[in-house]
Amino acid sequence: MSSDHDHDHDHAPIQEAPEIDEFEVLETAVRELSIEHGLFSAEDHRRFSEWAQSIGPTGGSRLVAKAWVDSEFKQRLLADGTTASEEIGIDWHDPTGTGTPSDYTYFYVLENTPEVHNTIVCTLCSCYPRPVLGMSPEWYRTPHYRRRMVRWPREVLAEFGLHLPPEVEVRVHDSNQKSRFMVMPMRPEGTDGWSEDQLAAIVTRDTMIGVALPQVSWTASAAPSEPTSSA
Amino acid sequence: MRRKFQLGERVRVRDATTLFHTRTQAFTRGRTGVVVENRPEWVIPEDEAWGRDDGRTEPFYVVRFRQRDLWPDYTGFDVDTLETEVSERWLEPAGKEQR
Repeated sequence: MSSDHDHDHDHAPIQEAPEIDEFEVLETAVRELSIEHGLFSAEDHRRFSEWAQSIGPTGGSRLVAKAWVDSEFKQRLLADGTTASEEIGIDWHDPTGTGTPSDYTYFYVLENTPEVHNTIVCTLCSCYPRPVLGMSPEWYRTPHYRRRMVRWPREVLAEFGLHLPPEVEVRVHDSNQKSRFMVMPMRPEGTDGWSEDQLAAIVTRDTMIGVALPQVSWTASAAPSEPTSSA
Repeated sequence: MRRKFQLGERVRVRDATTLFHTRTQAFTRGRTGVVVENRPEWVIPEDEAWGRDDGRTEPFYVVRFRQRDLWPDYTGFDVDTLETEVSERWLEPAGKEQR
């Protein structure tokens, strides 16, 4: 223990560099070989990573907002999410366009109704509709969420602060094969006459994973104010 | 390929021995649900896992389970369900039997 670490507790030493797992080793090896063989440069890789990681849930928010104001678009989106995404410039088939590289190009939008609340999980790994929602949140990839969402969905939703009445069917979608899913939440009361941009702002990432409902006063970019006390 | 199962049909996920990669979750095996949607014919994971992109293809289905049928001690409500996709080889007709 270092000499300046003299406070009085007995935690395990904090590791500055935790061990990397085998997939990280594999990624590093393939990347370095690719650079060595001239397939791409280190800078190409850095730029691509920066771009891929910067994709947020904006695409999904726009899809939902557009569907809320345009019932014909909504029907197209529910019928074929992959094709409807092209209408807002997201091409699931083109890895160098606005989509992320993936051979998983079957995109289905799940419509919430007063009777059914949808939510998504991937118990096998961490499948997520990245072209429309960007990188998944850290918690979405944890075994803790993945194994519990299929087994105790009501309890997990409650941990996110979402309590649904007993008559509402909670429908969990386990994306275990080639399809990717996104939830289309219901348009909240009090949004009559709102523009598509206004609506898109309240369709946050978590509402499209299905662990939250959109609220007229919440947007992803506005910092939460004082904690709200429950009545 | 002619589809073996129809929409609305009750199916059981085979409780088969698995080796290697199947993408058929253990918690669905031996459980009965209903076919609610068709999916395209895809290369089965058993071949794709070995890089055989030209491997065997077969129809996939979306199967909806009642949570109570998956977990006997489910703590939610009767209306709750779970959907997942299953390749044809993993399904068998459930007939009229109720779990």
